[in-house]
Amino acid sequence: MRAYLEPGAAVGAVAVAMAVGVYVVAVIDGTAGRLAGGTGRSDLGAVLLDPLRTVAVLATQRRRRTERPDAPGWALAPGLLGGLAATGLAVVPVGPGAAVADPSTGFVVFATAIAFVMIAVFLHGWSPNSLFPLIGAYRYGAQALSLQIPFLLAMLATALPAESLAVMDIVQAQEDLWNVVRQPLGLPIYLMVGIGVSFWGPLNLPDGADLVGGTSAEDAGTDRLAWELARAAMLFAIASMGAAAFLGGWWGPLLPGPAWMALKTLFLLVVMVGSRHLVARVRIEPFVVACWAVFIPLALVNIFVSGALLL
Amino acid sequence: MTLETVLVVAAALFAVGLYGAISQQSFVMLMMGLELMINGALLALIALWALSTGGNPQGQMLAIVFMTVMAIEMALGFALITNVYRVRRADITEKLRKLKG
Amino acid sequence: MNRSLVVDVLFWCFAAGSVVTGYLVFRTDSMVRAAFWLLASFVGVGAILVLLAAEFLGVVLILMMAGEMLIMAVVMVMFMMNPAGLNPMFMVHQHRFAVAAGVVSFAGLSVVALTADFPDQPVDASVDATAELGFELLGDSMLVFQTAGVALLATMIGAIALASRNGRFGTSDEGSREPALEIEELESP
Repeated sequence: MRAYLEPGAAVGAVAVAMAVGVYVVAVIDGTAGRLAGGTGRSDLGAVLLDPLRTVAVLATQRRRRTERPDAPGWALAPGLLGGLAATGLAVVPVGPGAAVADPSTGFVVFATAIAFVMIAVFLHGWSPNSLFPLIGAYRYGAQALSLQIPFLLAMLATALPAESLAVMDIVQAQEDLWNVVRQPLGLPIYLMVGIGVSFWGPLNLPDGADLVGGTSAEDAGTDRLAWELARAAMLFAIASMGAAAFLGGWWGPLLPGPAWMALKTLFLLVVMVGSRHLVARVRIEPFVVACWAVFIPLALVNIFVSGALLL
Repeated sequence: MTLETVLVVAAALFAVGLYGAISQQSFVMLMMGLELMINGALLALIALWALSTGGNPQGQMLAIVFMTVMAIEMALGFALITNVYRVRRADITEKLRKLKG
Repeated sequence: MNRSLVVDVLFWCFAAGSVVTGYLVFRTDSMVRAAFWLLASFVGVGAILVLLAAEFLGVVLILMMAGEMLIMAVVMVMFMMNPAGLNPMFMVHQHRFAVAAGVVSFAGLSVVALTADFPDQPVDASVDATAELGFELLGDSMLVFQTAGVALLATMIGAIALASRNGRFGTSDEGSREPALEIEELESP
């Protein structure tokens, strides 16, 4: 593995990126909610301060205990999700040669982090030993298992033009043509999967209101705070990987590379977070059927077309 | 990290898996034992590939075959468990005195 | 810090972790916990594979097992008693024989590992094992790779055929059996 930073600096860089990302997600969410619902004060100060107010409320709120929970698992789940978001972020390059880590299997490392989100969410729903969280955990199991294969196939297509699994090479190969143009089916599938994996917006079935909050029904206070932070961090990691793999990463005119990267990540975040306020929730049965019967064939067509273009 | 130590760790994983596969009554736990055994074998294989054969790519190829075997074992195992449960209402090995349908 | 020392410390942590969690799989009292312990054991082995320069295989092993353990937990809850998997259980048979088999196999394999004389040829640090594996998969070992693919396809078809509720002779939970060849009206008055 090629490492570009000292271990301490690498951890610091990822932590700063995650903190900024989580705050941006919260601000976009608040703005989109105000625009869609038209409620509450809507001046800039309120939009910027609301996330901090929520954090203060949750940090001082009392935590909740259930009967005979799996306490280590309950405490571990948000940490695991946050750690997976950090792992995902670490392999995303922000400029030519500038990444926290650039293993030759960067794409597989990211896919592994996404697959492990299933374990984190299942653990989070199972460990409180309570009904609604457990139902949420099983819903997430069904949803996430169906999402894995379209996700892997859509991501795999981006490795074809690069002839490499390293994310740095995948971005490098998009100098002339971004993957979003070369493989128009890839980005929509990736965004759908990203929303589903971080169970946000229309695919928020595991934590849905019909389950009184689903996997986080028993969370209050710092438990809920940690879980919400980890979820937002995961969304940020998925958006930044989407920007790198499909929108050409640091390539763009005039502005320096990292600025383009930040703008593209912001654009994907607005699309994904905005979906929560603009798109109706999807029912799980048709969604799972669509994953297996529609999105897998579409992702395969995407791979065949991009492979044929390369020959 | 020498070849011998990695092989001993692989042997320990294999032994734990063998213990589980023989002692567990539940089908799923039995399969967990089998998985651990294949896992130990995979570790030994990669240790020999990395430290004794100078990184011959065919060693990694064999490891891919091992992983395929793992996946096939799991898929067929779960399918058999589903079918046995439907037909016999059995979830532990003791309930299957005969294997004929 | 010295790189080989770091690798050694990491190796011992992952080795101890994967063996201990592998053992806990069979000592824990809940099936979901057992699945989580097994996953922890696989992650340890995957990390050791990465340390051994088999970067791709190690990461793919972890990727594969994450999905597999979730399926395992779901299957357990579908078919076993105790749906949430939080209540105690301990179900073993022929326990002494199993312990003896485990100890004997460990001793035998360790003796082989410690006494056999393997050639000492570590993998060259400059080799990109991921790229080499790629060329091997689509080069000399193409036939093996394709065979593995066809075997997986056959497994998918077979598993669906086995697990499908609708059999050739009716639904399987009603005991899908082949009808007898004799015509029953002739036998019964």
